[in-house]
Amino acid sequence: MPTVSVTVARDVTEAIKVPRALFLPWPMGHHFGAPFHRDLQRRVVLAALDLLESSEQPGTILDLPIKWADVRREAKTLTEQGRKL
Amino acid sequence: MTAADEGALSAADPREGGTQLRPDLWHTINERYPGSMIRKESFVPQARLGKSLAASRLTLVSSCGVHLKTDQPLDVCHPFGDFRFMRVPSGAKRDELIIHQLKYPHDDADLDINVIFPIERLQELCEEGCLGGLTPNFFSFIGYNMDPEKFERTVAEGIAEAVVEEERADCALLAPA
Repeated sequence: MPTVSVTVARDVTEAIKVPRALFLPWPMGHHFGAPFHRDLQRRVVLAALDLLESSEQPGTILDLPIKWADVRREAKTLTEQGRKL
Repeated sequence: MTAADEGALSAADPREGGTQLRPDLWHTINERYPGSMIRKESFVPQARLGKSLAASRLTLVSSCGVHLKTDQPLDVCHPFGDFRFMRVPSGAKRDELIIHQLKYPHDDADLDINVIFPIERLQELCEEGCLGGLTPNFFSFIGYNMDPEKFERTVAEGIAEAVVEEERADCALLAPA
């Protein structure tokens, strides 16, 4: 079964030796970004699916280098709007 | 603002660094919960997708502890862990789901479950034809437990059997919370 993991803990993922993973430098519990930031959530899912199709070496860990500070700046308004729904 | 936003951001702030936000997590877990982690001496062989994503049926598996609000909740208090797994209908709406897990911060995921369990983004990709389909059910469980061998025999093997035999998945997206 082809699998792809999305991880925020690179050292744990390296230790448990998964077939392929996408690493994000984000807090635990925020693997797909910030609340109500649909574009970013979609971007992470698509990056993971692309890796599922393209990776060839077991243990591949691909970085998606988006800083958490930038995510929060982008998502601040979206999250505040979403809280009111 | 949430807990992840507290304090002013500066150049020295790890949130600006682009590296693992909680460093040395592997060491920390093994120190605090000795014997709790599954260990592998070699890489799991890399299975290849034999067809395009647009023709593939995908499942989603996460240790985030999400399930339908109408389900009996996962046991977050048992000292050794809850060795059950939950089926989450892939057509479920965000408001139908709830998280029972104590071992990671889910205040943001409580606002929008897609932060850790991107069920609505996958529904959209399926409707757009990027994915051939979704399995009828997705899967979730509590990642924390103190008996990794029992976990492999029960939760891991149970999900693997269900994904292959019942759900007929071609591939899986994993979100280890």
